[in-house]
Amino acid sequence: MYKYNHFIPLSVYNINNVEIIPEYWYNIVPDLPEPLAPPRDHDPLNSSLDLLNRILPAEVLRQEFTSSRHVRIPEEVMEQYAQIGRPTPLIRAVNLEKFLGFNGKIFFKYEGATVTGSHKINAAVPQAFYAAIEGIKEVATETGAGQWGTATALAASLNNIKSKVFMVSVSFMQKPLRKKIMEIYGGEVVSSPSNLTDFGRAMLKEDPSHPGSLGIAISEAVQYTLDRGIRYLMGSVENSVITYQSIIGQEASKQLEILGEEPDVLIGCVGGGSNFSGFVFPFMKSKVEMIATAASEVPKFSKGKYKYDLVDTAGILPQLKMISLGADYVPPPIYSGGLRYHGAAPALSMLVNNGRIKTDEVGEDASREAMQVFARTQGIVPAPESAHAIATAINYCRNPANSGKTVVLNVSGHGLLDLSIFGE
Amino acid sequence: MKLALYFTFPYPSLERFGKYMEIISDVKFEYAELGIPTKYPYYDGPQIRKTHGVALKEFSMESLGKQVSILKSQGKKVYALAYCNLFSENPGEFMEKLSAAGIDGIILPDLLTDFYHERKEIIHSVHDHGLEAIPFFNASTPDHSIEEILSITHSWIYFGLQPSTGIKVPLRIDEMYKRIRSLCGSREIIVGFGIDGPEMISELKTAGFDGIAVGSAFIRSMDEDNISAFEKQAKMLEAETHGK
Repeated sequence: MYKYNHFIPLSVYNINNVEIIPEYWYNIVPDLPEPLAPPRDHDPLNSSLDLLNRILPAEVLRQEFTSSRHVRIPEEVMEQYAQIGRPTPLIRAVNLEKFLGFNGKIFFKYEGATVTGSHKINAAVPQAFYAAIEGIKEVATETGAGQWGTATALAASLNNIKSKVFMVSVSFMQKPLRKKIMEIYGGEVVSSPSNLTDFGRAMLKEDPSHPGSLGIAISEAVQYTLDRGIRYLMGSVENSVITYQSIIGQEASKQLEILGEEPDVLIGCVGGGSNFSGFVFPFMKSKVEMIATAASEVPKFSKGKYKYDLVDTAGILPQLKMISLGADYVPPPIYSGGLRYHGAAPALSMLVNNGRIKTDEVGEDASREAMQVFARTQGIVPAPESAHAIATAINYCRNPANSGKTVVLNVSGHGLLDLSIFGE
Repeated sequence: MKLALYFTFPYPSLERFGKYMEIISDVKFEYAELGIPTKYPYYDGPQIRKTHGVALKEFSMESLGKQVSILKSQGKKVYALAYCNLFSENPGEFMEKLSAAGIDGIILPDLLTDFYHERKEIIHSVHDHGLEAIPFFNASTPDHSIEEILSITHSWIYFGLQPSTGIKVPLRIDEMYKRIRSLCGSREIIVGFGIDGPEMISELKTAGFDGIAVGSAFIRSMDEDNISAFEKQAKMLEAETHGK
């Protein structure tokens, strides 16, 4: 029979314990092992950096280039964080440990517990809040898997502004429920490439059934923003987004401390890098091992180059130095739309390049199997993106060299709207 | 408050550059920064980028030396602002030429980004040729990199406020000053990138910066060959930094 006192050390749910939410976001830039290469213009005659003043909310832009290690979270954002399900639980995956016969410990931080079902809301809320207090009435963004678009649609509504979401065409087709939920939250969703922007029209002219890509959808959202004089919300890659997502790692760190646990390894999946970076960067000063998992169909870690590259396919935003497969890379239509992006956040790319962060690449079949294992052992259907990290963790735990270790995994979202990955 | 004036040498032409230098000969400023033109001025905004392309046509170390000696005869300290991509093959030879041209020191905006692993070797080469190595930091420079570079240099510090020259993204100047001052102690900090009007200069002065560096703000009057606007800009900067 369960004794409550025995249950407590296994998990930190603390749904109502808002004290676990940190008061500051953590910006890793002042603590990086070498200086972060600055964003660069690629058009010799114009400044795409200057253009950011017309694209981003002013406070978000300020935070993009801040030298401060800690950025205070506004009270209103704290209140919204508490409303959308923060802190998220840290749970010991006892059944998965048993299933694997692993004699160490596996914990997972469950970002799927937010109301939108993923970590994305952590960055959407502050950006929508800053846009709203600056008098902006509408925001635009892109979405791949649909999770960032969902978060933006809700965050915009919570802050009483409108949202337009450019959804990568292949996901738009694969995930009608995602479109629906964005609309329920108040967002207007269009398939990208679309007829709403010059860039989208050019892409459709080339190929009327273009599957789209995140790079194209970003370009369209940015162009739409400039055309309409509204503001654009960033879902990943940029430094301020990584800073907002630091709430994941800071909470996890506090929760592990409450449990008296020290992690040996942190594992997460990487699309643009926001959930992974937000999860691991607050632990960077420790010696903990870190493993970033990408999709093997989008092999940015094994085939990508560390170089200056475009963030968006149209080249409106400044170039960033990052691991990239090339901005014109059209990813295969794998189900994990969140992992289809051609690049990865600059700070994460630097830490991968210098060897501080290890990498893994997992294919769709292995991630589908990991989804099932996790669902059958822990009762949670993880997002297919998160399942890539779970597959890495399973392999890690099966390696006898890792016996007895404490593994902490970021499950960035749930997959309840992604069940068609298992067929009709 | 000290004033540093930046000009890409020789923009827009050797002849007109000399004319502008004559105009500022009776303006009070401490440091002249002469930009050595390069094909790849990556971290400059579009205005300064354009000056590099034009200045390349007439640049020579001989003409640089002549200009340096005029400025030094007026009591100015003269620094070269040079991208490391100009000399990555042979830093020693480049430093020797700058030293022979009479340059006092060198500011290297890309040292800690594109040439991070060669940073110590390049700084040693600067010192070996009797030049001052001016540390160049910005908001993205990590604490330990700042501490390391300070420990192997002795001069004033150039702090870039903005991610590139001539642009303006929103900043919290007070916050930026506190961080850089806490790391740099009593070393002189000259702040540059995106500085133009009196309001901003006053804010930088109040924050505690020791001086400002201005460059992009002159380019429009130089492009229009508007001598009176150029002079007015220089006098405004003098008044704001040294009193009216």
